[in-house]
Amino acid sequence: MKILVADDSRVMRQIIIRTLRQAGYAGHEVVEAENGRQAVDLVSKERPDLVLSDWNMPEMSGIDALAVIRASGSTVPFGFVTSEGSDDMRARAASAGAQFLIAKPFTPEVFAQMISAVLPHTA
Amino acid sequence: MSAEQVAAAANPRADDVRTLTHQVWTTYLGERVPLLFVEDNTFVPDWSASVTIRGAWDGMVSLETTRAGAQGLTRALLGLDADADDLADSDLVDAVGELVNMLGGNVKGLVPGPSRLSLPLVAAGRFAHGSQQARVVRLCSSWAGEPLDVTVHAGRAKATREHR
Repeated sequence: MKILVADDSRVMRQIIIRTLRQAGYAGHEVVEAENGRQAVDLVSKERPDLVLSDWNMPEMSGIDALAVIRASGSTVPFGFVTSEGSDDMRARAASAGAQFLIAKPFTPEVFAQMISAVLPHTA
Repeated sequence: MSAEQVAAAANPRADDVRTLTHQVWTTYLGERVPLLFVEDNTFVPDWSASVTIRGAWDGMVSLETTRAGAQGLTRALLGLDADADDLADSDLVDAVGELVNMLGGNVKGLVPGPSRLSLPLVAAGRFAHGSQQARVVRLCSSWAGEPLDVTVHAGRAKATREHR
């Protein structure tokens, strides 16, 4: 299993990867993207089983990346991990084809709850 | 209700900003050292980070701290030892920027929408605020012995960069 983590902050990517381990997803391969454009490319090249993406990124936003990914025909499970967790943002995420939105700050428990619906724990 | 009262009612409340700041620190930094809110801070910041919110409510959320404070926050977020000394300025920019991004995104949820959140802007020193901006929240705190201020200004900045 492979998880793509897209966030322009290296610190946040590390926190997300650490939280994945704490949530029971230690055995999965992780690939990283620094912006939405990289995420689109890596979804095509790496064929991840799950994408965890920030919303607000340079080059291409997470929501725009999701639109491109869905337009390409990919049905990869996609979840936002973003500092903006309003009802409006959650509705926009869902209508664009995201499976969930995790608001920062987040806990391993929230990761486990959201991700378990789309990805098994075991590698 | 006057126009001024309507505008003031739209601003985030200090208690709510304190709560969300506490949540961020408790989640990512509280295990090592708690964030202590204090009455006042008097310091010249070495590092400042801000995000702007534009839309139904215009404003800016900022974080200011010392170099030692920024280094400590960065080490803690990266899970490094407290005496690790291999931090580059780019690490500090990344860490402090991500913290203010989290604060700003949560403040955005407190104010009227729709609005857009900018990418963080991080700089050495202190940001100057124009006459169009009024400080509506100031939270003074201490973390790991270093001062840390979180402020919210209402009003639109004359110019903000939309990239790091």
